[in-house]
Amino acid sequence: MMLCTTANITESREVNLNFDKNKTLTDSPSNLTEAKISKEYIIKDIIADDQDLKDFLFTLGCYKGETIALISILAENYVITVKDARYSIDSDLARAIRL
Amino acid sequence: MSIKRSMSPRWAMKESRMNIALTGNPNSGKTTLFNALTGKNEHVGNWAGVTIDQKEGKVKKSISKSTDELTVIDLPGAYSMSPFTSEESITSDFVLQKKPDVIINIVDSTNLSRSLFFTSQLLELKIPVVIALNKSDLSKKKGTVIDVPLLSRLLSSPVIETTSTKANDNGLEELVSNALTVLGSTQAAPFKGMSESNNRQSVEADNKARYNFVKEIIKKVEIRNTKSHTQTNQDRVDRIIANKWLGIPIFAAVMWGVFSISQTLLGPLLADILVGWIDGLYGLIEGLMGNEVSPFLKSLFLDGIIGGVGAVLGFLPLIMILFFLLALLEDCGYMARVAVVMDRFFKHVGLSGKSIIPMVIGTGCAIPGIMATRTIKNERQRRTTAMLTPFMPCGAKLPVIALFAGVFFNDAAWVGTTMYFMGIGIIILGAMIIVRITGEKNARSYFIMELPEYRVPSLKRATVSMFARAKAFIIKAGTIILLCNAVVQIMQTFNWQFQMIPEGAASTSILASISSPFAFLLIPLGFGAWQLAAAAITGFIAKENVVGTLAVVYSITNFIDTEELALISGSADIAGIMGLTSVAALSYLLFNLFTPPCFAAIGAMNAEMEDNKWLWSGIGFQFGMGYVVAFLTYQIGTLLTTGSFGLGFIYGLIPTVLLIGYLIFLMRRGDQKAELKLKKSA
Repeated sequence: MMLCTTANITESREVNLNFDKNKTLTDSPSNLTEAKISKEYIIKDIIADDQDLKDFLFTLGCYKGETIALISILAENYVITVKDARYSIDSDLARAIRL
Repeated sequence: MSIKRSMSPRWAMKESRMNIALTGNPNSGKTTLFNALTGKNEHVGNWAGVTIDQKEGKVKKSISKSTDELTVIDLPGAYSMSPFTSEESITSDFVLQKKPDVIINIVDSTNLSRSLFFTSQLLELKIPVVIALNKSDLSKKKGTVIDVPLLSRLLSSPVIETTSTKANDNGLEELVSNALTVLGSTQAAPFKGMSESNNRQSVEADNKARYNFVKEIIKKVEIRNTKSHTQTNQDRVDRIIANKWLGIPIFAAVMWGVFSISQTLLGPLLADILVGWIDGLYGLIEGLMGNEVSPFLKSLFLDGIIGGVGAVLGFLPLIMILFFLLALLEDCGYMARVAVVMDRFFKHVGLSGKSIIPMVIGTGCAIPGIMATRTIKNERQRRTTAMLTPFMPCGAKLPVIALFAGVFFNDAAWVGTTMYFMGIGIIILGAMIIVRITGEKNARSYFIMELPEYRVPSLKRATVSMFARAKAFIIKAGTIILLCNAVVQIMQTFNWQFQMIPEGAASTSILASISSPFAFLLIPLGFGAWQLAAAAITGFIAKENVVGTLAVVYSITNFIDTEELALISGSADIAGIMGLTSVAALSYLLFNLFTPPCFAAIGAMNAEMEDNKWLWSGIGFQFGMGYVVAFLTYQIGTLLTTGSFGLGFIYGLIPTVLLIGYLIFLMRRGDQKAELKLKKSA
């Protein structure tokens, strides 16, 4: 399915896809799980005790000071975009990415 | 997919004048390019981490202008020179230690900003580099403009636009001629890292500077039409395909489609035709032999070789269609989405979404399935997945399933489907047990998976993959299976004094005396006949042998045509031939599917687990699982159908209880370990 891109999604069509009822979408999210869909954020920090993983994220271009955007939340996984690629990460990892 | 692939990187290179290494990010199209350059057909798929081993090939003469022999080495994808998973380290080790003459760095032109990070590292190795700007058709479609000459100048290395999926006008000739041009030259590294230091902070600063360097380049050479954070149609498709509620039903429907097409709709139709030909051959040879040939040779040829091999070969169409459909599935980009869908379920049993990919590949063949576990970073998850993948019924088990479904269950489609769901059920149960035994039930692991773009799967590639598989299957049937059948035929024809056994004294044969002790152990499972035990034993050499051996010992050449079976038994009661009730037949089928896989797959398990304790525990677990499942099926099934337990209930209950008890003991012990870990970390 080679699909071509279409126009931007307007703000009014933005759906709250968060499955976690206790959370509200804020304008200043503290981590990626609170981010708005399709909005670009700057990564403040990545809090993970697994250094290997941090290094790996770095090679993908996911590190402090880089731009990141949340595309959608699927099956408790977060689809993100960094450096023009799409990745799916789990909620633990999404929480580790501070904005 | 060759079975005898060395698991460790082999640096055994033939003497040739020039070695070209293909390096680049995962899923940038290295293997596709490799296949186009060499004319081979190595396995490709549309997700990150398909290639897990290095492969060599010679560049086709039509592409290379040089008279020299050019060897290309396809390497697993890597995001950088500092590896994260073990297949990535194959790449960095090769480049650093083997020092190829030229590196072709495949760069995904739709993702320049990430790819060039690795490129800049490769340019520092003092090995000439040529950059293949691959997938140039896709980036053009997206309206991305890349200033290729400028990029080449900034990186001071040749940059060639390629589209390795196209048959011609794909840039490959230019790529190879450039590789020949740069041979022996030294390129100045555009970015010099201070990678000599091992100090964490300086390495990090270094990498940041590297990324900034790449950013500057991107600014100058690339104009993107689409911002990557805008929603695309792909994202909309993902919302449905990987939806929390729809994801599983869609996956189940897709897999059910694959198996019903290959096993009940299209497969048997084609199999019928093929079996007709095999029968014709049987008749022809029988006619040719006349009465001149000794009865022993006659039966060796007809029943042992043609009958046994033919019984297996008859199922070839089913396997071909299965592989064709799996290739389509792997090619379209769906695999990565399945991993996303399954992640939250697998998390509950201590695995992650990545474990589903080996299992889906394992439905084709367990060996590549087990090897695919190499992309799993976490050691326990990797070993657990390698141990459980063989529970997915593989292509070689298809004939066994089809045979039993045909003979005992009226070709019921539910038999095949049930076997797959049972496989999944056993895998989930197994994962739960293993995570508790290892005492890691509280362990956290992260899941990250690149989502490749969907694409229309290539029918040509699927066809190529299907024929490659068919060839392997025919070779297997003509060698291992043929040999086993001949041996079985000889062993059941003679007794230990090497005299031909008279009619009706079959139980005095070598085969019977070897298999009988095993058959005795299998009485509680409902099949204490030595013929069935012999078939299960030969199944460890190759699972198709179960069918071949049964064909030989019962002298049945055609399993697909049930009418023939009815003729032999003289009644419609086909089951009478084997003396099995439907319940016992089901139990026998389960036993063959869920005990350890063939020896080749056990070899693959050994290679990926890298630990003898795990290997033997795994084999023990698989045996135990097969035994207990078959025992429970037979005894409970017999109770339900006849009102009393089957033979040997007590004798089977003892090992069953012991096995389950031992597992519970191990799990308890593991839980205590987990508690301790929690206390320590608190």
